[in-house]
Amino acid sequence: MNDDNDIISKMIVLHSTFTLPSDLVIKIYESKADITVKETCFGLIIEGKRSEVNRVAREIRNLDPNRIFIKERGVPPGSSNRCRASQGGGAKPGFHQHEVEFALLPYFTEALDEIERGEMPEIKDVTPPHLTIEKFKDIIEKEVKESE
Amino acid sequence: MVKVFIYPSNSLILSDLVDRFGHEPLAMMQEIGKKIRTAGLDSPPINITPEDPKLGLKYAAVEVPSGVRGRMSLLGPLLEEAEAGIIVREPDIAFGCMGCARTNELINFLVRAKKVPLLELDYPNTEDEAKIFVHKIREFLDGLSGAQSGKGDE
Amino acid sequence: MAKENLVKIAQLSCGSEYSGIQKEIETAAAMVDAEIIFPEITIDDVKAVEESFGLQVASPDLKLMMARAQALVDGKTNADAVLIATCFRCAEAALVRNEMRRYIHENSKFPVISYSFTERTTAATLLTRLEALTTTARRRSLLAREHQEGLTAGIDSGSTTTKAVIMQDDKVIGTGWVPTVKVMESATEALNNAMKEAGITRDEIQALGVTGYGRFLIGDEFKADLIQEEITVNSKGAVYLAGHQKGQATVIDIGGMDNKAISVQDGIPGMFTMGGICAGASGRFLEMTSKRLGVDITELGALAVKGMQEHVEMNSYCIVFGIQSLVNSLAKGSVPEDVAAAACYSVVEQVFEQQLQEVEVKEPLIMVGGSSLIEGIPKAMHDLLNIEVTVPPYAQYIGAVGAALLASGFINK
Repeated sequence: MNDDNDIISKMIVLHSTFTLPSDLVIKIYESKADITVKETCFGLIIEGKRSEVNRVAREIRNLDPNRIFIKERGVPPGSSNRCRASQGGGAKPGFHQHEVEFALLPYFTEALDEIERGEMPEIKDVTPPHLTIEKFKDIIEKEVKESE
Repeated sequence: MVKVFIYPSNSLILSDLVDRFGHEPLAMMQEIGKKIRTAGLDSPPINITPEDPKLGLKYAAVEVPSGVRGRMSLLGPLLEEAEAGIIVREPDIAFGCMGCARTNELINFLVRAKKVPLLELDYPNTEDEAKIFVHKIREFLDGLSGAQSGKGDE
Repeated sequence: MAKENLVKIAQLSCGSEYSGIQKEIETAAAMVDAEIIFPEITIDDVKAVEESFGLQVASPDLKLMMARAQALVDGKTNADAVLIATCFRCAEAALVRNEMRRYIHENSKFPVISYSFTERTTAATLLTRLEALTTTARRRSLLAREHQEGLTAGIDSGSTTTKAVIMQDDKVIGTGWVPTVKVMESATEALNNAMKEAGITRDEIQALGVTGYGRFLIGDEFKADLIQEEITVNSKGAVYLAGHQKGQATVIDIGGMDNKAISVQDGIPGMFTMGGICAGASGRFLEMTSKRLGVDITELGALAVKGMQEHVEMNSYCIVFGIQSLVNSLAKGSVPEDVAAAACYSVVEQVFEQQLQEVEVKEPLIMVGGSSLIEGIPKAMHDLLNIEVTVPPYAQYIGAVGAALLASGFINK
């Protein structure tokens, strides 16, 4: 269904202390790919033919695999459709989603590092089972008795 | 490679993990991208026109609000393509195209009703939960036929 | 229209982009020299708002909407007015919409208008609403006026009838009421009749206000001081005549061709619906009924008050099929009183079903417009909603009185 010649955008989100968005931009220029690049506060947005964008995205991720996260983006880089300046100011809903996810990225990096090292965390069900009504009744009776 | 419907559909981390572990994420952004790049449509900001909620009637009746039907007109076709799904339960991050609880209820149901391989899990809030989250997703994706773990973006 | 000061309208909404109508909102705003803006907030504001406001909802975009409302009230946004809009038929959104409207009204000076849209909402539908909103933002001091001063005139150029009044120091001293044939001629005739009754000449009028659908034409021709849509004018006129200028009220105007239901706060419209799709909910239906009963329209009300609508079975609200039901029941032996009551009830019930579903009904309910004089109409409304219904004096001249009242703000300007 997807045509390799479709034009798409991808958002490259970087959270790293030793790789900067500008390093990624240089890498893209070196690759001589026929794509548009825009630097942003969280990384880059790239746009071009699907096959090219995918190729470049893969190369970029390989620079620092566990600290670079990528998703497709609907809106082209610099589009006035989503720009605050031309759309009445105020962040659009997707930005808030991005804010929340961005804050969690260090955790995911940690998890990916573990996978790379071949470690497996102990997967246990973190939700405790519901209190039974009998048990709850016992607790209430005990608490009431104690407070008397 | 398996087409994996993700919920929330616009999540960076879900989209990334599915792709990273060798499958194709089915996400809202690609549908919005098509809309925005369709010449002749002039309905900023995301080029959904009043025609789209009518197309959404395929998934929800006219008594369902137009915002739900408009979203369904984008998400419905993705659901039809889905060969597997990952649902994050009660994410507090679902804004924008995932900002409507009624739409979210409907798409979660439709993914479950499809009876495709499905992983449901809670959104992580701590480091430990995040690790488990990633491992569970990886395990699930590796178990899908045709996985090409570690390649990504193909 | 002359270009006016740009009004910044803060949009608080859920679903407008996905209903495909965001462009319609922005187009309508541009038509009234306004600009849509979105309050700036952070994700922490969104997370905190449910607790600080106390309304917990499932949809994240509604939380976003509440956080934006809070940013407005806290003075963090440079805006002049607020538009609250959510999807029609969404219960969760309706709760947030109504509570946000109240919250903003009670805690800030912003005029607010709220609307529930579908994918069929167009810029044209939104235009009158945004015109009312921008007027409130631009003319706050004018709308705060509670007394009519000097000698002023008001003309309401309606689709069916044209009304004019002359007012002096809070009193109506002359009225004119003519069927609308040609907009200009009818307005001239109505004004002449009013001046004749008041015993004054055109030169003595210190200020003139015009409203109604012919307002632009007659406003230009008569060089009116105020040209204003009827939502703002009728709200003001209704609370003024009913002596209820402060607090909440509901204004229902059943006109010849279209109806308005307006939720009012301190005389300023907040949320409203305008009908006009079905003649069965209009004064025309009552005219047809009185013809069938062989009575004058002015006698229909008194007849209806004596009747019992339950005695007549009506299968339709339609001006064709509903009237047929009435005729059939007459043939079966129903008395004219019951038939008149059933006709009134039918109109009111349809106003309720079509229009009051989208507007909060707050007491007092003030009924205005020509149809409010048919006593069966306010009675049926009272029976249906079980609340007090007030019909102020000069209810049929509501638009003209509102225009004359507001026009007095232009004396000596």
